[in-house]
Amino acid sequence: MRWSPLARKEARTVATSKGVWLLAILLVLWGYRPSYVGWDGLSTNITAGYVQVAGTVLLPLGVLLLSYQSVVGERTSGSVKFVLGLPLTRTDVLLGKVVGRTAGIAGPVSVAFLVIAGVGLINHGVFDPLLFLGTVMVTVLYIGVLVSMAVSISAVVSRTVTAAGAVFAGIFLPLVLFWTNISTTVFTQVTGVPVNPFEPPPSGLLFFLLRLSPAGAYHVVSNWLLGVGNSTNMYSHVLTKLQPQTSTNAYVVEATFPPGTVPVYLHEAIGLLVLFAWLVVPLGFARYHFTRGDAV
Amino acid sequence: MSNIAIRTEGLTKRYGSMAAVENLDLTVNRDEIYGFLGPNGAGKSTTIGILMDYIRPTNGHVRILGRNPQTDVVDVHDRLGILPDRYSLYDDLTARRHLEFVIDTKRVSDTPETLLDRVGLGDAVDQSVATFSQGMEQRLALAMALVGEPELLILDEPFTGLDPHGVRTVREIVHEESKRGAAVFFSSHVLGQVELVCDRIGILYEGRLVAEGSIEDLRTETGVGPDGTVEEMFVSVTDSSAGVEGTTEANR
Repeated sequence: MRWSPLARKEARTVATSKGVWLLAILLVLWGYRPSYVGWDGLSTNITAGYVQVAGTVLLPLGVLLLSYQSVVGERTSGSVKFVLGLPLTRTDVLLGKVVGRTAGIAGPVSVAFLVIAGVGLINHGVFDPLLFLGTVMVTVLYIGVLVSMAVSISAVVSRTVTAAGAVFAGIFLPLVLFWTNISTTVFTQVTGVPVNPFEPPPSGLLFFLLRLSPAGAYHVVSNWLLGVGNSTNMYSHVLTKLQPQTSTNAYVVEATFPPGTVPVYLHEAIGLLVLFAWLVVPLGFARYHFTRGDAV
Repeated sequence: MSNIAIRTEGLTKRYGSMAAVENLDLTVNRDEIYGFLGPNGAGKSTTIGILMDYIRPTNGHVRILGRNPQTDVVDVHDRLGILPDRYSLYDDLTARRHLEFVIDTKRVSDTPETLLDRVGLGDAVDQSVATFSQGMEQRLALAMALVGEPELLILDEPFTGLDPHGVRTVREIVHEESKRGAAVFFSSHVLGQVELVCDRIGILYEGRLVAEGSIEDLRTETGVGPDGTVEEMFVSVTDSSAGVEGTTEANR
């Protein structure tokens, strides 16, 4: 690939930054969350569940913060003149940025997961290594999706502060933090059916909306791997919901739909498609914009 | 293979109602060193930005080394070297890493040491760019432009930030590269250097080319006399708009 040297440079820049290692440390502290419900549900494989906990809220925030400047920063500083002066198309530049940043973040984050694996091994015993690896791989895919979205914003704005605002107000708040509220509100507006999060209506539309965000899709796919249930919530929340005589505000397909009535489009594999869509669609729009008009 | 390194026809770039470059016809041959002069804000960097496809023209055509810099950007940039204006380097990388980035992307086998020796930075190969002075940054940026023996060198204000030694180094390198067979196109407002370096100069004023030719030609055209300096010519063509129109006509 013509953009491999750019991707290598990008990866090295991120992987040698303080920010990404700070994120790695915080992910260990944030992710390692032993719980009785988790232990009951997953036994020693709770260690793989920690990866998903780490991938909830903190990881997306860190990845977005480490990526939003990637293109606009070079445009405002002027270093983009070197990159664009090389034999690379502007599309190459975007691809090199996304792949390089993803690798540069995924490396230190994987080190954090290795530490979690070690702690889990010591405290809980031997877990299924393939399950753990799978969860890490889905999380790395999620990192790639978030980097791609942040790079896309970075490529179409002209000021760093705009990029920061857009990444926060356009990705983090709506798509990571408040997606559940947004989708239930939209659902109620469209259908007129109120949503009680403790007893949600068995509506395919509602559950489909919930998994359209990258965060929702990430949880669906990682819960699928962990085998805890079909849900956009964190695995421990899903396990709680599925326990008899407990009530909690999680949206779990198995707890809401009677067996045999689950629409096919709520299959967990659709979560992978949603992630791929978030990986390529925003980048496609950004490419359209970035390859037209002035780059400096 | 055509003998033309750069050709623009009717090149125009407008920002809103303001024209940064207007109807610019420019031809730079492969065997020459062309000095692109003009006061600050004349449109020199805008023109170079269009040549490099950093920015897109409002109107007009550009050919670089016989190709369209917009659609054939990979091929064109493979064959040219650029020293941009108002750039910034990567503070977290060493000089070597900067050059390796260019060398690897261009897929050539140059060595960073050799290139840095040429620009007088041989002892700073593994030094982080964060510690560089402005002159050192400019030398490194020049070394990056030299990677891969380009057929065309585009240097935007190459004397910026350089001490007299640095200025001489740039001059020597421009002559070496020209002797090797590269076309050199550089913009400058350091007029004293231009006389020592250029085969031909063009003077840009308010987005238009107001004078073009060898230094002798321009002495005659601008009427500054046989001992006239580039500075005198420059002032004469960029002072009065009446003179501007006259020179443009005389040039055609």
